[in-house]
Amino acid sequence: MSTSAAVAPIFPTFEQVCQGFAGQIGMLRQLAPEPTLTDAVRVERAIDTLIAETNAGEAVWLESCIHCGQCTTACHFFQATGEAKYAPMRKMELYRRIYQREVGPFRWWYKLITRPVKLKDLEELQELVYDSCSECGRCTMVCPMGIDTASLVHHLRSALVAAELVPAELAALTAEQKHRGTIFGASADTLMNMINTIRDHYGVTIPLDKPSAEVMVLSSAVDLVANGNGLLATARIMNHLGVDWTMCSDGFESANFGLLSGDMALWRQQSESITTAAQRIGAKTLVIAECGHAYPALRWNPMIKGGSLPFDMVYMSEFLGRMAKAGRLNLTPIDGKITYHDPCKTGRRGGAFDQPRAVLQAMNADYVELPSGREYNWCCGGGAGIFLLERATRLRDESFKIKIKQVNATGAATVVVSCASCRLNFEAGRVKNHWDKEVASLVELVADHLIDTPARTPAATSSQPGVTA
Amino acid sequence: MTLLEFARGPAIHWALIILVAGTIWRLLGVLVLTRGGDLSRPRDAFGNYKGYRTVFSRAWPSSEFNVATRYQTIVAYLFHFATLIVVVGITAHIEFIQSLTGASWPALPNAAGVAIGIVALVSLLALILRRLTNPSIYCSNLGDYITWILVAAPLITGLMAFAHLGPRYETMLAIHILTVALMFIWFPFSKLMHSIWFVFSRAQSGLTYAHKGVQI
Ligand code: SF4
Ligand code: SF4
Repeated sequence: MSTSAAVAPIFPTFEQVCQGFAGQIGMLRQLAPEPTLTDAVRVERAIDTLIAETNAGEAVWLESCIHCGQCTTACHFFQATGEAKYAPMRKMELYRRIYQREVGPFRWWYKLITRPVKLKDLEELQELVYDSCSECGRCTMVCPMGIDTASLVHHLRSALVAAELVPAELAALTAEQKHRGTIFGASADTLMNMINTIRDHYGVTIPLDKPSAEVMVLSSAVDLVANGNGLLATARIMNHLGVDWTMCSDGFESANFGLLSGDMALWRQQSESITTAAQRIGAKTLVIAECGHAYPALRWNPMIKGGSLPFDMVYMSEFLGRMAKAGRLNLTPIDGKITYHDPCKTGRRGGAFDQPRAVLQAMNADYVELPSGREYNWCCGGGAGIFLLERATRLRDESFKIKIKQVNATGAATVVVSCASCRLNFEAGRVKNHWDKEVASLVELVADHLIDTPARTPAATSSQPGVTA
Repeated sequence: MTLLEFARGPAIHWALIILVAGTIWRLLGVLVLTRGGDLSRPRDAFGNYKGYRTVFSRAWPSSEFNVATRYQTIVAYLFHFATLIVVVGITAHIEFIQSLTGASWPALPNAAGVAIGIVALVSLLALILRRLTNPSIYCSNLGDYITWILVAAPLITGLMAFAHLGPRYETMLAIHILTVALMFIWFPFSKLMHSIWFVFSRAQSGLTYAHKGVQI
């Protein structure tokens, strides 16, 4: 029973959202900060970053590669292009050289026989660790040594942050989030305006800044500046469930450009502002919006002492899955064959496999698993910020063809995703390839199938604490 | 001192010392880097231990990667097992091990030893052929080729000595032992160390993923 049928929609379709973003992303390139340090200092800072971040785990991975080549075809970027430079093990070569020269047990020897690292090496690295690695972890699934290239690539991104070598689009958004605390201008005011629009037009209330609440819900810039339907859907579901929830104007943004670019300081700052807000309001559950990398940014943030936090951090699909399993989601059946794409960050690198499937089951979906599904799923090609990089368009487009083939093999009419960045990438790929599939977001799908949205019935509305905005 | 005496004496002894000392040095050099771990809450309180399964499970690739990995996996297994059997199954090797450790066990019949030695050599050739013909897949470096040569050499010279090919038997045997010594010396500085690293590397990834509730 879609309630949006009752009220004329005012938010753009996701296809329009996607087109709008393309324009905005184009502008980012002009906003990117220029390097300020000398070449020598930039190289030194990159090396120092790697020295500081190299733990025994990284060292063991760097030590154990035998150049057996197994990982190459597991990577969508190599598979799609056949170009040697995109093979996973090549992405860690420079890290290994720096490790051998600076950290490893035979560093005196490697200093003699290997070339020192130059800025040019780091410049060449940029394409390998940003454009052509989505840190998806698929290569780890096949490596006989179990090497986690994705983790190594992440450290290399940190090194490039130190060397002021972040690609323009990511650098611009990282700087914006660092200095202004917004992404694409999505500020607390943007949030409040969106909340007001949703209340005024759809009659759906979104509690903001309640002094205490059981559930704290995050949004994301994509939803706040473009895809109002995302936040609307979230609100409908929360109200349907009748949970005591709120959003916080000092901690609402899921997206974390610290994680995407490799800027650990921003990563920590951004995550901590959210965990602080959650603690202040005494939340028991923090729900992360459908924003794939926000899951590792918060839930798996290695710097945040999760064990001592008084609340659970769950991804939207996990939260919905929990509610579905508990029988609290009252949903109409869904038509047509459906498949689900696990975002790398919540699937293989996050472990939230069963919950989204439980949600689809609660809608009696004619569900079919992707071939190479679950922990073997192919990345859509847009993860880890790659969707934003204009330079990576060809890599993205080519690897998306793998995704098309994979989804087509299921015969499903709809592919459900649960990550804004996957969804943008799917949508762009769908339009470009005139692909006849429908791409749906899990949270919006659930909202469209809710039976009896309590927010629209007076009794239920009055049981909700009022909007404090 | 004859060449054979040199090979059997100081050469192999020093090679063994370098092998052991170098290996310990490299292992310790890595393990001392252990610093603070991941502070995030694991998915299951005791689930991380499941990560150790990867050390064993990764012994064979998942069916997902069957086609892509078949050649490399099968040939590599042939090579590793054949080599291992030859190393511990041939009379001459058992006698050498006995001279060092005192331990001894029954040897393989000579014909079987030769056959398995040939399997090892042929599979090693099959591996290098594929490496040479698929440069983009392998990303080979100088170390890969040196390692290959230093592993192939003892196999070739051993088979030659066994079959009484080439120079006088004593000379051939000395050359064989010297090639083994070279391989031992190369071991701690090269990718041959993967025979030890694989345990650590698989465990590390297994734990990292198990922390998030994923079995890799
Ligand atoms: S993590 Fe993914 S994108 Fe990166 S090298 Fe491995 S398979 Fe390729
Ligand atoms: S599969 Fe693993 S060991 Fe083999 S080349 Fe790739 S990273 Fe190295």
